[in-house]
Parts: sequence; C-alpha cells; structure tokens
Amino acid sequence: MGELQLRDVRKSYGHVEIIKGVDLDVDHGEFIVFVGPSGCGKSTLLRMIAGLEEITGGDITIDSKVVNDLPPVKRGIAMVFQSYALYPHMSVYENIAFPLRVERLSNDLVEEKVHNAASILQLNERLQHKPGELSGGQRQRVAIGRAIVRAPSVFLFDEPLSNLDAALRAEMRVELAKLHNDLDATMIYVTHDQVEAMTMADRIVVLDHGIISQVGTPLELYHKPQNLFVAGFIGNPKMNFIQVTGKHADENGIVVTLPSGQEITAKVSARGDVSGKALTLGIRPEHLTLKSADATIDVVPNVVEHLGIHTVTYSAVEGANSTFCSVLPGSAPAKVGVAVSTGINGADCHLFDENGNAFDRQVTVAALDPAEMHL
Amino acid sequence: MLHKYRWYEYVLIYSGVAVFLTFVLAPFVEAFVVSLRPLSSLFSIPYRFITDDMSFEAYFTMWQNVPLLWMYMLNSFFIATVVTILGLICIIPAAYAFSRFEFPARNTLLGLFIAVNMFSGAVLIIPLFKLMQQYGLLNTYFAMIAPGTAFVIPTGIWLLRSYLVRIPKELEEAAWVDGAGKLYTLVRVIIPVALPGIVVVSITAFITAYAQQFIYALTFNSVNELNPLPVGLFQFFGRQSVVWNELMAASLVGILPVLLVYVFLQRYIVAGLTAGAVKE
Repeated sequence: MGELQLRDVRKSYGHVEIIKGVDLDVDHGEFIVFVGPSGCGKSTLLRMIAGLEEITGGDITIDSKVVNDLPPVKRGIAMVFQSYALYPHMSVYENIAFPLRVERLSNDLVEEKVHNAASILQLNERLQHKPGELSGGQRQRVAIGRAIVRAPSVFLFDEPLSNLDAALRAEMRVELAKLHNDLDATMIYVTHDQVEAMTMADRIVVLDHGIISQVGTPLELYHKPQNLFVAGFIGNPKMNFIQVTGKHADENGIVVTLPSGQEITAKVSARGDVSGKALTLGIRPEHLTLKSADATIDVVPNVVEHLGIHTVTYSAVEGANSTFCSVLPGSAPAKVGVAVSTGINGADCHLFDENGNAFDRQVTVAALDPAEMHL
Repeated sequence: MLHKYRWYEYVLIYSGVAVFLTFVLAPFVEAFVVSLRPLSSLFSIPYRFITDDMSFEAYFTMWQNVPLLWMYMLNSFFIATVVTILGLICIIPAAYAFSRFEFPARNTLLGLFIAVNMFSGAVLIIPLFKLMQQYGLLNTYFAMIAPGTAFVIPTGIWLLRSYLVRIPKELEEAAWVDGAGKLYTLVRVIIPVALPGIVVVSITAFITAYAQQFIYALTFNSVNELNPLPVGLFQFFGRQSVVWNELMAASLVGILPVLLVYVFLQRYIVAGLTAGAVKE
C-alpha cells in the first residue's frame, strides 16, 4: 500500500518560512506531480516527505503511520535524485544491490531481486559496468533500479529527467509512465517542466511560495485554474491577461468592458457585485480565432513565428499585462507590423477578481475532456 | 586552451623552471658526485665535476663501516609507516566530520588545528620529554611515533576536508535513503570515492613523518637499535673526520623508501574517479 497524507506541514529556516502549511491526500497508486517555479518549495517538500529535511510543523503520514521523526528507510519510501547519485566505484549490479546489502539479505535473494529489477529496466547487459561507462539515460535507469529493488510503498522523484536531452527525456517519460502501471506504486514526482507534469500526472499539485495553489487533474488545471498564478503557470505559451471593468452579471455570465470599449460576456458564475470592479480577463493564445467571434482585438505583431502547423504572434495590446500572444492556424496571414483582427469567444474566457481568484467557469471538465465525452 | 605562447615567452618560462630546478636539484647532484669519489680527492683544488677515480665503492663500504645502517633505514621506514597509518585513522573520520556535520565551534576548531601547526615540534620538546619520562616511555618506538602522529593530523585534516567537501552530498543522501548508517556510508561510499584524496594525505603524512623523526629520535631515544636513519647517519661523523662519501651514499639510499612509497601510491591519484557519480 502507498497512501500519503500531509497535514499542515511547515518548514522554516530561521525566521524564513519556506513551506507554509501544506495539506494533501494521496491515494495508493496515484502519480502525483509537484510543479512550480524555482524557489516555490517543491523540492524541499519532497525532501521532507523523504526524511532528508526535518519538518518544523504538521504531520506526514504514510500508510496511516506518522513518520515525522523516522529515518527515510523506515518510512517505506525510495528516492531518485536529479543528479542520479550513483556510487561511482561500484558496478551497476552493486549499485542496485546497495539497499539490499544494507539490509544484509542473503546473496541468492540479492541476485534474484537485482536481476528482476534489471530486467524491468533493461539493464541486464550492463550489470558489470561502472556508472562512468553508461549514458545519461542508463545512469538514470540504474538510479531507478536502486529505488525499485526495495519495493517501497512510495517512490519519490526529484526532477529525474532534467539532466537528459530532449529526445531521451520524452523516451524516459513514457518508460516512467509504463513503470508506474507495472509496479502499481504511488509516485511523487517533482519537476519544473509542464510537459512532464501534464503528460504523466494523475493529479498535479501547483506550488507557489510554499503553499498549494491548486491540486487537480491536468485538464482541470488547464480548463479551470482557480487563480491567476495557476492560469499563468499552466499552458504554453502562457495565458494572456487583459485588464477589464465589470459591468453586470446575469445567468449567462459576467459582462465586462474591454479597454477598447467592446463588451463581452464571460461564461462564468457570478459571485458578489461586480459592476465597476477592476477584473482580469484571461484568454489562452490558442483560443484566439480569426473567425467571427463575440469580441475582437486588433493585434499588431512585433514578432511572428511560423511553426508550420501554427503561426504564433507576439504583440503589445492596450490593457494587457505583458506581451499579448496568439496561436493562429499555420495559414494565418500574419506579418510583422500589420494589424490582425483576432476574435475572442466568451465561452473560452477566464475571469479573475481583484484578488486574483477565478470566477467558476460554467463548463464541467468532463464536457471538455475528450476521454470522458465518449462514455 | 587556445592561447599559444610566443617563442620569447617559452624562453622565459623554461629559464624560470631551470632556475628553480637548479636550486632544488643541485644539492642532490653534488651529493651524488661526492658519494662516488674517494675521501682523499674530495677537497681537491681546482674543482672538477668528473674525475678518473670515481667508483661506487662507498655504497659497499658504508655497510661495513656502520653495521646497523640497514636497521636505521628499517626503523625510519617503520616509524613513518606507523605514523601514517595512525594518522589516517584519526584524519579520515575527523575530516569527514569537519566537511559534513554542523556543530558548534566547527570553524574555531579548524583554526586551532592550523594554529597547532604553527608551533615547531622543537618548541614542545622539553614538555614532551618530561611527559615521556613520567610515563616511562623514553627509548621506545612509541616515543618517536606518538608526537610524529600528532603533528601530521592537522595538515591531514585540512587537506582531506577540502577534498571531501567536493564529493556531492547526494551520494550520502542516497545512501541514507537506502538505509545505510553514517559509519557504513563512510566505509562503503565515502572512503572509496575519496581514495585519491586519501592517497595525497598519506604521501604528505609519510614524507612529513620521514623528515621529522630526527628531532624526536635525538631527544627521546638513546637506544642505538631503535634509531632512525637521520640519527644513525651521525655514525659517519668520526672524532677526527667525517666520512663524506659514505654519508652521502647512505643519505641517497635512505631516500629510496620514500620514492618507492610514492611510486606505489601515486597510481591511485587518478583524476575522474568520481566520474559517473552525479551529473555535473
């Protein structure tokens, strides 16, 4: 079993609080990914679960046992480090066998378990090599092998793929997902790479300055971000934000006035009085359209990127917080310095109040999830 | 490196090297030349570098002249080896602790260790002599080994600590996560990875111990059989004259063990032993 609970977990260095009260429930077999910008505390939180950092407050429970003061090995976890941390003087076999040697298992048992792990990771040919003779991907597999021989209830990964090149990373991503299925184990995975998070996670935990900003499935975070931080962090290129003024709310949504004076109805559930309030409208670059829509924004691109399948434009737009980005079809007639009229549909809009909290969109994730639609 | 030196820069560099090497090696050359000459022609004027009567005779006669010479060499080697081993037993755990653990007054203690090195051993000879006398340790190997060990430890700690701090912390964290205790990690992970550093420390300790025996042996020991080579060489100093050629021959032969130790150990000073441990 591999259940994990965090209850109001805190960590301070002196007077600086790094982790400011984190609550999280992880079920057996889940693949959880911690993402966030650097310095958000995601690695620290993982190391606290591992037992490499002491926790200042709260409780960490693994399989309904509070493990706050237990050393890593007694917590039933195994960890894979970003830098692999292989023992350079030992062969691959001895590296994988290390945790078993510590436990003083008999040689027969060690051999059986190491070969078992090696065949899962396709390392059988490499058992007698030293880590220095292996490629980056193979080294990472050895590090994973060392984690799986102990059959822990929770696997912890600290940015395991960030040292690999792009092609190998994509390959290892698939292998890790497969490994997760094969082992039926709980995995907690730290990364700053959105693609890794979106592709592998059952649920993503977005961390921002030591607090959980939002927890949800990848599509939940994409379609229904709860605040400006998550909206801006998930999605690439990132969501455009435009300063708007609230006009009135009805059952269709909230009517807001764009800086150009046009009005648009964002399909969100109203909350409180919005008239006259300064709100933030969010629209993803890929949701901008060249077809007729509820409102239009004229963009004059500074930079145009032709990717073949898409044409990406960057421009300065009145009321936008930063560069306004649009992802248009590859055939879009975009040129630097020539205005393009792009359309926004109210159904695609996200709306945030003055504190940065989202108004709930009037769609269910199930309705947007292609996998759910056919059920 | 792309930078290439110009011809006059090469000339400057090599003449600098030549000056240094001359200063360092000239005494050895002279010692070697002296060891080859018969005593009678040593002080002949004018000085000639190569003469007709050169031979290796001194290398044979010295063993008869000072029958215990081999014993002195053995003693020197023995004392230096034991000092090195005892020193390493203290240095390795201490350097590991200084490089990894946070404890109060860590830097003060490190500073104190260096401060100890600023005292010459000679300053402490009288108190040490009283101490040895009290415990009846005079005229033993121990009297020459213990102070020697004490003096190689501080330098050793500093040398090894700077090597150990460069070993990635993740290695120990990985071992800790895998269930290994601190001692197990030290023996199975840290020491093998730090082997090149440990070899450097061993060589330094051995050479220091080999060179510093003289003063301890001279003061704490009056048993001829226990004397190390530097004291033993005094036997070539007669009442009337000094047997220079045999003295030089014995000195040069006495350097051999250190050279052998160096040749044996330097195979382990290989760069890149940590290759593949972590991604740099």
